[in-house]
Amino acid sequence: MDSQHYYRISGMENGLRLESRVIEERIQKAVDSGNRYLEVEAFGHHGLGGRLWKAGEETVSVRILGSPGQRVGSMGFPNTRIEVMGPTSDDVGWLNAGAEIIVHGNAGNGAANAMAQGKVYVGGNIGARGMTMTKRNPRFEPPELWVLGSVGDYFAEFMAGGIAVVCGYRPQDPGNVLGYRPCVGMVGGRIYFRGPHEGYSQIDAKLTPISNEDWEWLVSNLKTCLDAIKHSHLFGQLADRAQWQLLEARLPHEKGSKPRISVKDFHQNVWDRELGRGGLIGDLVDFDRSPISVITSGHLRRFVPVWENREYVPPCEASCPTGIPVHERWRLIREGRIDEAVDLALAYTPFPASICGYLCPNLCMQGCTRQTVNILPVDVTQLGKASIKAKTPELPPLTGKRIAVIGGGPAGISVAWQLRHRGHEAVLYDMREALGGKISALIPKSRIPDEIVGAELGRVREALPHVYLQQKLTQDDLEQIKADYDFVVIAVGAQKPRVLPIPGKDKMIPALEFLRQSKLDQVKVGKKVVIIGAGNVGCDAATEAHRLGAKEITLVDIQEPLSFGKEREAAEAIGASFRWPCFSKAVTKKGLELTTGEVIHADTIIISVGDMPDLDFLIESIATDRGFIKVNEHFQTTDPKVFAIGDAVQLGLLTDAIGAGRKAAQTISDILEGKRPRGDTRKMLDYTRVKVEYFDPRLTKFDGVEECASQCSSCGSCRDCGICITMCPQAAISKKENGKDFELVVDPERCIGCGFCGGVCPCGIWNLVENDPLE
Amino acid sequence: MFPNGKITPSTLSIKDLSWQVHWDKERCTLCGRCTAVCPVHAIELGVHRKRLIQMPALGEIGQSNGSSSVNQVYYGVRQKTDPAYACVGCASCTLVCPNDCIIPYKTDEADKLRFHINRGGQPRRRGGRRNVRDPDPGGILDRIKFIRISMLTDPALDAGRHEFELRTLLGRILPPEENLKMLKEHGWIPPVREIYPLIIGAMSFGALSPNMWEGLQMGVAYLNEQLGMPVRMCTGEGGCPPRLLRSRFLKYVILQIASGYFGWDEIIHALPEMKEDPCAIEIKYGQGAKPGDGGLLMWYKVNKLIAAIRGVPSGVNLPSPPTHQTKYSIEESVAKMIQSMYMAWGFRVPVYPKISGTSTAQSVLNNLARNPYAGGLAIDGEDGGTGAAYAVSMDHMGHPIASNLRDCYLTLVKVGKQNELPLFAGGGVGKYGNLASNAAALIMLGASGVQVGKYMMQAAAGCVGSESDRCNICNIGLCPKGITSQDARLYRRLDPEKVAERVVDVFLSFDTELKKIVAPLGRSTSLPIGMSDALAINDSSAAERLSIRYVV
Repeated sequence: MDSQHYYRISGMENGLRLESRVIEERIQKAVDSGNRYLEVEAFGHHGLGGRLWKAGEETVSVRILGSPGQRVGSMGFPNTRIEVMGPTSDDVGWLNAGAEIIVHGNAGNGAANAMAQGKVYVGGNIGARGMTMTKRNPRFEPPELWVLGSVGDYFAEFMAGGIAVVCGYRPQDPGNVLGYRPCVGMVGGRIYFRGPHEGYSQIDAKLTPISNEDWEWLVSNLKTCLDAIKHSHLFGQLADRAQWQLLEARLPHEKGSKPRISVKDFHQNVWDRELGRGGLIGDLVDFDRSPISVITSGHLRRFVPVWENREYVPPCEASCPTGIPVHERWRLIREGRIDEAVDLALAYTPFPASICGYLCPNLCMQGCTRQTVNILPVDVTQLGKASIKAKTPELPPLTGKRIAVIGGGPAGISVAWQLRHRGHEAVLYDMREALGGKISALIPKSRIPDEIVGAELGRVREALPHVYLQQKLTQDDLEQIKADYDFVVIAVGAQKPRVLPIPGKDKMIPALEFLRQSKLDQVKVGKKVVIIGAGNVGCDAATEAHRLGAKEITLVDIQEPLSFGKEREAAEAIGASFRWPCFSKAVTKKGLELTTGEVIHADTIIISVGDMPDLDFLIESIATDRGFIKVNEHFQTTDPKVFAIGDAVQLGLLTDAIGAGRKAAQTISDILEGKRPRGDTRKMLDYTRVKVEYFDPRLTKFDGVEECASQCSSCGSCRDCGICITMCPQAAISKKENGKDFELVVDPERCIGCGFCGGVCPCGIWNLVENDPLE
Repeated sequence: MFPNGKITPSTLSIKDLSWQVHWDKERCTLCGRCTAVCPVHAIELGVHRKRLIQMPALGEIGQSNGSSSVNQVYYGVRQKTDPAYACVGCASCTLVCPNDCIIPYKTDEADKLRFHINRGGQPRRRGGRRNVRDPDPGGILDRIKFIRISMLTDPALDAGRHEFELRTLLGRILPPEENLKMLKEHGWIPPVREIYPLIIGAMSFGALSPNMWEGLQMGVAYLNEQLGMPVRMCTGEGGCPPRLLRSRFLKYVILQIASGYFGWDEIIHALPEMKEDPCAIEIKYGQGAKPGDGGLLMWYKVNKLIAAIRGVPSGVNLPSPPTHQTKYSIEESVAKMIQSMYMAWGFRVPVYPKISGTSTAQSVLNNLARNPYAGGLAIDGEDGGTGAAYAVSMDHMGHPIASNLRDCYLTLVKVGKQNELPLFAGGGVGKYGNLASNAAALIMLGASGVQVGKYMMQAAAGCVGSESDRCNICNIGLCPKGITSQDARLYRRLDPEKVAERVVDVFLSFDTELKKIVAPLGRSTSLPIGMSDALAINDSSAAERLSIRYVV
């Protein structure tokens, strides 16, 4: 079409530049009036050639001469064909919705920005940010940007669709036709380009091979483009498939971070290569530091279970001054070995029936684990009483070592009994015709039947020789005895009553003397009896006084009475009254006068404020402390050949005296065998390790020794119940038979150190301990 | 729970504990994993008696069928109440439970345990962080907003599209005229490092497990060598593994010297063999978590490895006193320490002190401003973490970082040296998870960079510690994640490679977030240090105190 057929619109009128608004109005008006060929002389006017929908389906051709402003063909319609005869400014084809725009020169920045349909052909180079934010609407053909030369920086940023073709003919930068940082944020579309580049956003785009179909499209459209920009002669030069490359947006699933080596590779190939095998500290450690799981077994367990069978003393045994392994006897009973259970006691005490069955306050029961949670403690008195049938074990042959024991009471008999059972000859020296000391001479018949004591003393007499002393022992006698024997044990008890230094003190009867005589029925009491000192001996005296006919019995003390147990119960049962605090001033004919002036009427006054050992016979090498013999932890006195036990050392219970005898015998025996005296170094089992929840708290009495045995927790000694084996979540515990005995063993490779075995163990055997430290 | 119903003053019930373990009998499979994993043995398998009372219908009672009481037992996981075994809330049990049947809950009221954790007269010690809740949700840093959004006023930058140079300078920067003069006269120009503004703060080899430490260092090396991010990490006071000292990775390391001087003879011996200079030397004078207090690495933690790195025999206590022993005045001690440390590397390595946040920080700063060798000042605020400290130090000692840093920066502005002496801020950065915004706030308040420790432990290794007194048992070496333990049975739970991956993740995401903050402010090529006109807070007192805008 010749230029004269164009409807001309000039941007200049009367020497003045018209505003873009006026030119736009004139262009729209011209189209509306039926003009389809427009020639615009531009003077920097904005948006020329866009929005020409008034022509309907008819094509409108706009030829732009001069210098167009920004956004030529913006919002262009598909019916529009714009030809810029020279270069153009920024944003050519901005938001193009279908126009074909040809630029016969360079285009500025932002060419085809946000273009959605249509085509832009540029016969030169373009500036920065070309083909940015373009998109493709599926209802239409994709937009196209053709650039004969090169593109500026930040090309195809956020490109979301369409096709860009960069021919690379006479590029602005011969080394880079795509500019700096192209394709950042590109999510759609493709870019054909010809010539070198200096990289693109690899996160967003990828080079992809040009298929035959692609090439056909490119070649045919290249021809169109070159025709449009009047460079058809270049076709041959440009249509060389080998020179072209294709960039395509990565699909969402192909995106990711920038390709880089994995940390694993870095670790192996960079880190360890620079530092050496084993990394940072490979030179300092030689153990494995590779990752492990949170739950581990074997040497990687933090904690390991230990089967601490019999490593701790059960509370009953620990509470028993005699040290009888009560739980062991219950075990034998549970196993049906009642005879052994009974006989076992004689290894610890010569008086299992008298003491455990009758006279002892049974500290084992007070200490019983069951007691700590108010469950009935296992009744040892039943077992004690059954022990009357215990048979003396066969005595070992004599070693030739001889020990003299001064005093035939519970302590003396105990030490002699133990020594004899260790093969040493022990000779008892006593002032009385009958052995037994307090047990036989003082303790009221109401507390223990004579035949029990008689039977047990019978057992003793069979085993031990007895020297009946006719007169009080002297220092010379002791020296002689010491010379005659390998060791001497003093067990003379406390026989010398304490008296109060008050007027009339001679009228008071010492309690021990009273009890001794009452047992022989050789003493009489009045109707009213006052007992000074309301301890257990005082209680015994009260009970005896009642038996002998007293009607009104009063026990006075300077403090709240310390009496307890069976003695106290018996005294209360006979109606004795306890009074405190009462301080005695004098004993008169009327009775006991207190410091308050009050007189407690009494026919008989018994004094029971304790007794002291009578130690006149002691030789100088044996030291005393406040009236008692001084001993070390092995009951050895300051004279190494002489031991002392029982009340002569410290006032105590019968069981204390018997226990002391056993320990002293052990020490003497060890010394005789040339061994260092050994004590029991085991500690008492912690109560909390025993699970009492297995027992019925509503049990109120035991029906025989079998039931007692069944209710024993067997603290610290495995009951072989198997619950740990069952509970172990790893099935790591098994039972290993060792001849008669057995052992529970843990497979370390299965065990995870959860401690469940300890959690369920009724006996508190399993302990969870820290595993050995790893270096 | 306790025998015989007897109580002592410290007898507690589960109700009194700060963490209460809820266990579901129905779902429990009795697998033993929870008790095996519990770091403090707070739970155990218990035997429970269950009594069943059976009663036939009244009309059916006969001689042979009366009511009965039957005891049964069942087994279940139960919590110990002895304060020595109190649950720390780490929830390792929950982590390993295959049936999700066990979980510790924080008590719904003030616990009573806190009154009984001073047995033997020993006040409570722990690791972790300050456990005093801020009155407002989040700390002051979280409340600072970035209000200056450049849409049209400045170049509007796009965090995703634009290129950023988010770097900072560590070292004494001479004013241009002086720099030129020195250049002309071949004088001494202080060494300056261009580094990434987020620094992994001092956590010693010893405070951290070998696997954790290696993971952090590996991540840092990766960031430098694979991603071109010049991230730096401070060793803390515990020496530096000999191999690292002799590797090229040393340039990513800030070596710390503190009052115990542990490992420094090993560092000195390595000097002739160093391929690279370290990034810088940090002289530690104080720590935000326990200002004015020292440290003690207990003998049982000093195993062969720790001993080798620290240059001591194993199995001995390692005290770091509260102060350097030969410190007599600011002038004297700072000057001589800075001189000594410069000399070790021929004046090629920047040296700067680190102090705990304190109202006396400006005195130190004034001194440093006059000392031409001082390469910066790091301030560690009260919210910093620690491996071990008295709870009272952690909770109640120290200065918040924001105002301390701000005061120092404004002092520098007053004397015109704000571009010469860089300030580094630490202590609670990212405390509530907002790492980038906290860092950006501190940078705009005047910090040249920020140091983070706890955040890295949480983000890179899964530390479960919290301000609600969860876990925080770093001090006893039983870290359930293996972060702070020296026991291989624990620290082998941590894979250094995975830690390194997380370090990389953290820095990359931080980088994006920081860009998202600075791009709208129109900054891309320089860090907006001291750009406080971009900051505001909806608290007029805080605004006034920090000299930033008040907005509502």
